[in-house]
Parts: sequence; structure tokens; C-alpha cells
Amino acid sequence: MTQYLLRRLGGVLVVMLLVTAVTFVVFFLLPSDPARLSCGKPCTPGQLAQVRALLGYNHSVPVQYLEYLRGIVLGRSYGSGAASLHCPAPCFGYSFPQGRPVTALIADRFPVTLSIAVGAALLWLVSGVLAGLVCALYRDSWLDRLVTVGALGGVSAPTFLVGLVGILIFGFRFNMLPVNGYVAFTDDPAQWAFHLILPWCTLAFVFAAIYARLTRTQVLEVLGEDYIAMARAKGLSRRRVFVHHALRAGLTPVLTLFALDLGGLLGGAVITEKVFGMQGLGALLIDAVASSDLPVVVGCTVFAGLLIVLANLVVDLLYGYLDPRVTS
Amino acid sequence: MRRTLLVGAVAAVIAVSLSGCHANNKSAGSGQTKAKTGGELDVLSPAPTINLDPAKSQNLATSTIHLVLRGLTTWKESATEAPTVVPDLATDTGQVSNGGKTWTFTLKPGLKYADGSPIVAADIKYGVERSFAPQLSGGLAYHKTLLVGGDKYQGPFDGKELDSIQTPDDRTIVFQLNKASGDWPWIASMPAFAPVPKKDENIQHYGDNPMASGPYMVSSLKQGSTLVLKRNPHWDRSTDPVRTAQPDTIVYTMGLDPTVINQRLIADQGKDRNAISSSRVPASLLPKVLGNPSVEQRLATSPSGALSYLAINVTHAPLNNLKVRQALEYAVNKKAVQVAAGGAKIGGELASTLITPGIPGYQSYNAYPAGDTGDVAKAKALLSQAGHAGGISLTMLTQNDSINLAEAQAVQSGLTAAGIKVRLKPEDSDSFYADTGASKGDYDLAMLGWLPDYPSALGNIQPLFDSSQIGNGNFNVSHYSNPAVDKLIAQASAETDQSRAQAMWGQLDQTIMADAPVVPLLYARNAFLRGSGVANFFAPPYPPYTNMLVVGLSE
Repeated sequence: MTQYLLRRLGGVLVVMLLVTAVTFVVFFLLPSDPARLSCGKPCTPGQLAQVRALLGYNHSVPVQYLEYLRGIVLGRSYGSGAASLHCPAPCFGYSFPQGRPVTALIADRFPVTLSIAVGAALLWLVSGVLAGLVCALYRDSWLDRLVTVGALGGVSAPTFLVGLVGILIFGFRFNMLPVNGYVAFTDDPAQWAFHLILPWCTLAFVFAAIYARLTRTQVLEVLGEDYIAMARAKGLSRRRVFVHHALRAGLTPVLTLFALDLGGLLGGAVITEKVFGMQGLGALLIDAVASSDLPVVVGCTVFAGLLIVLANLVVDLLYGYLDPRVTS
Repeated sequence: MRRTLLVGAVAAVIAVSLSGCHANNKSAGSGQTKAKTGGELDVLSPAPTINLDPAKSQNLATSTIHLVLRGLTTWKESATEAPTVVPDLATDTGQVSNGGKTWTFTLKPGLKYADGSPIVAADIKYGVERSFAPQLSGGLAYHKTLLVGGDKYQGPFDGKELDSIQTPDDRTIVFQLNKASGDWPWIASMPAFAPVPKKDENIQHYGDNPMASGPYMVSSLKQGSTLVLKRNPHWDRSTDPVRTAQPDTIVYTMGLDPTVINQRLIADQGKDRNAISSSRVPASLLPKVLGNPSVEQRLATSPSGALSYLAINVTHAPLNNLKVRQALEYAVNKKAVQVAAGGAKIGGELASTLITPGIPGYQSYNAYPAGDTGDVAKAKALLSQAGHAGGISLTMLTQNDSINLAEAQAVQSGLTAAGIKVRLKPEDSDSFYADTGASKGDYDLAMLGWLPDYPSALGNIQPLFDSSQIGNGNFNVSHYSNPAVDKLIAQASAETDQSRAQAMWGQLDQTIMADAPVVPLLYARNAFLRGSGVANFFAPPYPPYTNMLVVGLSE
């Protein structure tokens, strides 16, 4: 198992190096000039050269990439003397327009995304899996059909539409829930949860549909397996067969999908954050794209990539745990 | 200059034509009562962050930062007239000498910061000096090209001072310029001219809570969430000619979705009655706003705004032929562009000049009277005279958002009728500005918008038509180069007598249009909503944004 873990961690490192390299290259292929963006108005060639030198864009691309990697490990400084801008490790770059290291911006915004993602994920996992199980247990009943139709609606509806309809109904029509804004958990836990109800429900509505469909399919498939019939034939109760034999096998793919979805969402619930005016990583990324704040774009992309890679690692380890043949 | 304004401006217009509805009679929104002193004003903002560092700010003189910071001068605005420059911390708008190269300002007596310490001339000098540090660049920087030695100076943090700014005593500050500038009083209203006490500072965080000289100071700031401004106890109303400072508290909520902001203001419930939007009304909501009189009366629409125009690359054949360019002037159906932009009421008025209404120096004239829908016969005749009776084919760059595309298609349609085939080349914003700002100028036509950073005809004319502004990311997209015009621009820029300068700019407007390097299309409008409890809320002709310095709550 230790060897397997080390091998997987090595893979993570290689993938992350590739992610940073590709993101960095894309950064230079884009038509924007981040130095010009930070130069002010009007921007003379002399001022542009000063800003370019300060940000390190006067070096060749390979040198800049190495500096970038060095910054992630050791941190880096922009400029020298009393007015140098320090970016401590892990330094994912410096947002000149926002006047802050990208790492600090990510650290500021991550709690917002974490709050949205974890709450929504629990909601959609519980509701989706329960709905799927009910459908599997009462296959072809009116309940199954009802859940199937609801799931179809959830799968088909874009997040922004669900969010805006939620805002319209529960915010403006009935004035029951706040329609935007984020309150930090540390400031007021009750208001934190109150402001997150709509985003949680929006994401849960969209994701739970997928989980309900997947759970239903998986559990039905497992229930049709020979070993289930064998267990029933041996006289085990329906409940025992379902809980001890069908669920474990049926839910393994669901957990895999859950880890990947959660990993992806932690990298930024882009649409949900924008619709509900919550300044998480997704909103940070979108605003950076809109304003061509490329260090933030690169930093957020690398960070989101890291989360996905880590989620994959967790899935791999879970598989290794559930199926020892994988690690051998 | 606000290169992106057109995108935002047109995003605020509707897809239906409302042309002819009191098109010339814009108001600031009716039904407003007198503003009272006190209360909390809420500002709903889509901006994810607010930076109050004067060196890095591109805020105009009537925007948020100037609630906290004062400059040497400021702007006096009304809902309908062009703004004027007035003294702020200074006793006047500057005494000029040395042929326009030396400007001297005297500070009013008894000025204090929020902590009670005196504001002195050295603090203005330090504020300007720190804006030269590359670490603090990004703000409005017109002074950097004008101050003697500014091209080499890199800020005060290594102990060096900028010798072209002198402070002979605590109340006097003298600026030495490398060329005469009649616009210096306007430039002295920019954020970098706010006083900053010279002491050890954490330059990364000065903007979180700058030393307040205006009527408000930062109570709390959480980027991405809220900015709360409270009263500055040492601000003296008698020294301030423009700020009314009526609310006790101003709370900015950041990072909100523009649609949700405006939905909240349309609903006008609870606390939102005392709120305003810093985001233009999105196109999708305008029918809802205009279809409800009680909401529409809470809409402030600017009488004018950015110039929407078609740039003609004068270096490309056959556009290097004046007759062909004149044919374009006559062929464009401006009415169709106006309809695509949302109609006269919201989209904007048809344009014929380079200097927009609301900018001193604007003179109404039309060098190519083609009627609202264009004069196809005249255009064809001009093409024929140019030897292109069979028509021509051109490529037009445009941004790929729906509103810009709709306007480009309206232009394309008008030109096609005159025998000018146009191939549209839609691009994302970054590519569009990279291509239009490139020295090679690989296009025939381009659709753009323009709003200067201060109400001077210099800002309308020089960046778009001075030959020094071709390529290198600059905005002379027409690649227009006329030595006579360059010379006239230099003369008008140096004229310190404002009425003479305005006459010169007005004449320049007509001189340039005689060469037809652009087709003016629209004076684009902006529209903003307020809650029913808000007073003194208007968007002037320039700048077409809410004047934050005077908004208050209703009595």
C-alpha cells in the first residue's frame, strides 16, 4: 500500500508540473499584455518597460516558468528595496491590479467556495442517493416515475436558470431567503447558513438528479447479479441482502463520482457564485478572465487542477481500499 | 481613456426600438424629493473589489474614492450641463505662469485629515510622487508625461524626490511641466493628487484604509464583500464646494450580479429602498423598467456619454482615397445602429461630431448631412468619382458580444446598400484590442467606443487622431496621420485660456472630420436605477455615471 501511495503521489507531481507548464504556455499565447493592464492610463513605452521589468515579463518564457516554479516552492519578490512586493511561498504569482499575491486571493476566496461546495455536496449526495435507492426499491412505481421525471428536470436545467428562478420565487416573490451576498461563518453562523440555503439548494437540485439516476441504475444492476440471487436463495432477508451486499457494490461508482464532482466544485462554483453574488474562487477566476488579470487566471487554474488531481488521488486510494487487487 | 466603455454602455440598452420618445429631453429621473442629512445609503456594486489607493485608482472625480479623498481641484456637475473644474483643497484652480508650463496652487487654511493632523502641501507632493513607483502604477497617469523628470522618476521609496514639484511652504505647491498644458487644472482633480502623509507605509495595504481628507473615512473593508464608510469628523463642509455628504453611513456591497442588483431595485423592498446601483441596467431588464412608470421614474439616464464610432483605416487601399471615406460617411445608416443599440431613449443620440455633448468645446455640426438613414445615392456617386463604381469589399473588426455584433451588422447592412461589401470579423475583447492597437493595422474598419477620463476635448481628440498614438496598444485605430492636425493638437493642448482652447478644439473637430477618418455613430447613454428612498440621483452628460458625491436619502 505504501508503495502504491508513493507511486500515486509521484503521478500527482508529474501531472501538476504538466498543468503548470500548459497553463503557463497558454498564458503567453493569449493576446493580452498583463504589463499593459497594470501600466495605468495613459501608458508610455517607458512606464510599460518599468512595469514589465517589475513583474519579470522582460525575461524569456523558460526563465519566467522556472521563476514561477521557484516562487511556488520558495516565494519571490517583485522589485527591490523598501517598496518591493513580497509574495511568500507558495507564490502562484502576483495580481498587480488587485495589489495582492494570488495565493492570498485564493486563500481569501476559498472559504466561500468551500462553504458552497461542501454544504451543497452533502445535500445532493443524501437526497440524490436516497431518491435513487427509493427508485430502485420501488422500480416502475409511480414514485420511481415521479423521481425520474424530477431528475430529468434537474439534469436538463442549467444552474443559472435554477438559481435565478430560486431567487425570483424565494427571494422576490415570497421574500423568504436572501438573494445574494455571503456572510462568513466566523461572523455569524446562522446568517452564513441562511445566505447559503439558495446556493446549496440550486446546486443540489442540479447534481442530485445525476446521483439519483446513477444510484438507481447501479443498484438495479447489482440487484440483478447472480450473487444477490444466491444470497436470497440462501435465505438472507431482503433488507440484509440490500444493505450488506447490494449497497456496497452499487454505491462505489457513486462515491467515485462524488469525489470528482466535489473536487471540481471546490475549484470554483463559477455560475452559482456569480448568480448569488458570492466572491469565491469561481467568481475570482471569471472576474480575472474578464479583466485579463492573467496571474490570477493561471493561479486559479493551477489550484483548481490541484484539487481535481487530489480528488483523483482520493478516489484511487478508495479503490485501492475497496478492491485490494488495484494496489497489487 | 475608457476603451471598454462602449461594451458596458451598449450592454445597458434594450433590443427594442424606442426611438423618438422624448429623445432629446433626458432627465435625471423624476419623483425625487430633497435629500436629508443622515441615514445609511447602500450601494449595490458588481465590482468584486474596491481599491482606495489614490496612486492605483482610475476613479473619475465624482466616483467613490473621492468620498474619502480630496484633490487639489474637483468637478462641479449638473444633470444637464457640461461639468466645470472648481477648487477642492486648493483656493483656486491654479495660477499659471511660464507660458503654461508652471502651475501654482495654494491650499485652503485649516484643512485636516481624519486624525486631526494638518494637510500640508508636502503631502500632495508625496501623493503624486508615490504614483510614479512601478509597484503602484495602474492609476490615471496624465501627470506622469507632463511633469519635468517624470519619464525617469520611479517614486519616493528609495529616498528620491521629484524636483519638478516644489513646496516652498505648507500651503503652496508648484508644478513644473515639460510643455504647456491648459488641462492641468483637470488633471489636478485626479486621485493621485490626493494628499498622502509621508511616513512608513505598507504599500500593499495603504488602499485598505487611506488617510481620509474627504467627508468619509473607511470604517471597515472586506474585499469581495463590503466597504463601510463613516463620517470623517475633521472634514469641514465650508471648505468643500461639491460634496454634500448627507448620509451618515455609506455601505458598498461588492461582487453582486448586475441582474440581481437591478431586480432588487425594481422590487424596491425593505432596505433596498435606500439603495442605488453602480451597475447599468442590463438590456434584459429594460423592458420591465420602461414598462412600469413607478420604476421608470427611478431611472437616471445620461443625456450623453461615450462616442460610438466606426474607425476607417486610412492607410489601406481603397480607404486611402478621401472620396471612398466620404462615401462611407454618407452610406452608414445611423438610425439602424441606434435601433440595434436600443433606440434613442436608452441607446443614444445619432452622432456627427468627435467631441461629445457634455464636453467643453462641443459644437453641433454635421459635415456629412445624409439624414438619419444615410444617403445611398450620394455614397454611390462618391464611389463612382473615386473609380469604384462597381463597389468595394472591406473587412470590419468588431467585438463578438451580441450588442456589438448587432451594431456592426447594422453598419454592414447600410454599407451593402451602397455597394460596399463588408465582411465582419468578430473577435473576443482581448484579441480585438490587440488587433486594433497593433502597429500593422490589419483591418479596414473597426467598431469602437470612446469616453475620455476627464471632460476635455483633448481627451476626445488626441488619443484617437494624434499620429503619436498609432499602434503600440494606443487608440489611433484609423492610423490617421496629419502633421497639420498634430500641430493644431499641440497648440490647443498648450492653450491655457479655456474659451480659446475650446474654440480651437471645436475647429479641430471639423478639420479632422473633413478627412473622414471615422464615422461618428452614437452618443451612447447610460441608465442606472435607484431605490424610492434615494434623492439627488442623476447621471450627467459627462461623465455618464452617477455622481456619488451628492447622492443622499429622501426627507
